Amino acid sequence: MQEQDKQTVLTNPTLAQAAEVIGKAFVQRRTLIVAGKCHVHYTGRATSTLELGERLLIIKADGALLVHRPVGYEPVNWQPAGSVFHVQSKADSLEVHGVKQKPRESVRVTFSEVFMVSSLSLEDAGEFLLYASEEDMHRAILLKPSLLEPGFKPISYEKKVEPGFVDVYGEDKNGRLVVVEVKRKTAGKEAVLQLAKYIDAIKDKAGRELRGVLVAPSLGKDVQRLLVTMGLEFKALDPKKCAEVLKKAETTKLESFFDGNHC
Amino acid sequence: MFKLKVSDAKLLRDMATAISILVDEATFKIEPDGMKLRAMDPSRVAMIDFEWPKTIFEEYECAEPTKMCINISELLKLLRRAGKDEAVELSLDEKTGRLQVKITGKYNRNFTMPTLEASEEEVPTPKINFNVKAKTTTQGLSQAIEDAQLVSDHVRIEADSEKLILNASGDLMGATITLQKGSDTLLDLEAKENSKATFSLSYLTEIIKAASATSDIATLEFSTDMPIRIDFQQTKEGKLTFFLAPRIETE
Repeated sequence: MQEQDKQTVLTNPTLAQAAEVIGKAFVQRRTLIVAGKCHVHYTGRATSTLELGERLLIIKADGALLVHRPVGYEPVNWQPAGSVFHVQSKADSLEVHGVKQKPRESVRVTFSEVFMVSSLSLEDAGEFLLYASEEDMHRAILLKPSLLEPGFKPISYEKKVEPGFVDVYGEDKNGRLVVVEVKRKTAGKEAVLQLAKYIDAIKDKAGRELRGVLVAPSLGKDVQRLLVTMGLEFKALDPKKCAEVLKKAETTKLESFFDGNHC
Repeated sequence: MFKLKVSDAKLLRDMATAISILVDEATFKIEPDGMKLRAMDPSRVAMIDFEWPKTIFEEYECAEPTKMCINISELLKLLRRAGKDEAVELSLDEKTGRLQVKITGKYNRNFTMPTLEASEEEVPTPKINFNVKAKTTTQGLSQAIEDAQLVSDHVRIEADSEKLILNASGDLMGATITLQKGSDTLLDLEAKENSKATFSLSYLTEIIKAASATSDIATLEFSTDMPIRIDFQQTKEGKLTFFLAPRIETE
């Protein structure tokens, strides 16, 4: 009966009751939330111990593990998907043991008290929608270089140049090198100065004519004059338009086929 | 330190042209047994895997593995200056870090060009179980792709045990190109199961056009919605293979 339920919630269970529900959740690959007083011991790439305290343990259907303290958005302990879990109830404690091979990692969460256990069968096929990030804007330019200007040919992106990384770097139709700095929001003076720095760093090595183009949805007040003084250009590009380009371009990346997990 | 000499500049020029389709700054690995390059294009949709064993070269000196990154279109400009049957010698000047390109034939030319910071990225090979293996003449394949390009910017490649079909549909026009197994174009075809995948024609056209200068026979391998592998059989030893990621069809 309970096995069929979409969710099982126990409040203030005994350790043995909690262990039973947790064990079943592992077998059925459910998403599990346990609130209680626990300590955590981890060995693997490092060794860590988290002393006794009241926390949330979340184990997801794919075997990802998170231990959250009552504050902060980041988990204090975590394991990526693919761990194998085992629960054991002892006389005065309950131990959840997660093991991951390659790299070998082991995490033991030992509860002395359990306040709540939820075992959930969650379905989620929805897409996560986000307007283009700065990186998406780079990708959109790479996929459709004419977004920047006709005849633009990208050479590389996130190219390392001494003060940092050039967003996109390419060649225009007249064979001049083009250094592109992309901003997701209205570009301010800092963006112009940053671009100027890259141009400066590349100038000597390039050995040919060099253009700097600042790409952003709009320019800040008084930025235009600075841009012109420094001999740089501006190209208005809306992140939403980039998102559309990425949507239309359904071409997959080769990288997604490197690990053989694509089937 | 290395010194490589190719007796026919055209060989090197054709190879550099094929590489330049995908990469502008090319990092070559020059090792005692030969020269290699494996790289993805900037949008990471296509990959080239190139190898020349040292036997291709008239002279090959390389004491220890070296990485060399150069602007390939700049090198091509120099190689285009070489005439028929002229030889090209590439060597690295250790003091200046510059590449020396020596073209010898009717007269002698000595160019130098800068080398760039070598890419540290190791590109792995996509792991794919291919269900279809089709052997075509490079020229025939090139023609078929040109046909498809008249009507669209992408093409669906389909195969069963008897034939290979290229299906292109644009906004207004469409094309279906059928290559029968055992015909003059499709020399051989093995299909474990019927498969189809769609690819960008701009990549395919450029890859095939450039590679056809180096090869008469191309072997296509693909599976449904997986990357395609195109191996261009080289007249001398050596390897020139491309991978291209598919477009996933959405309605």
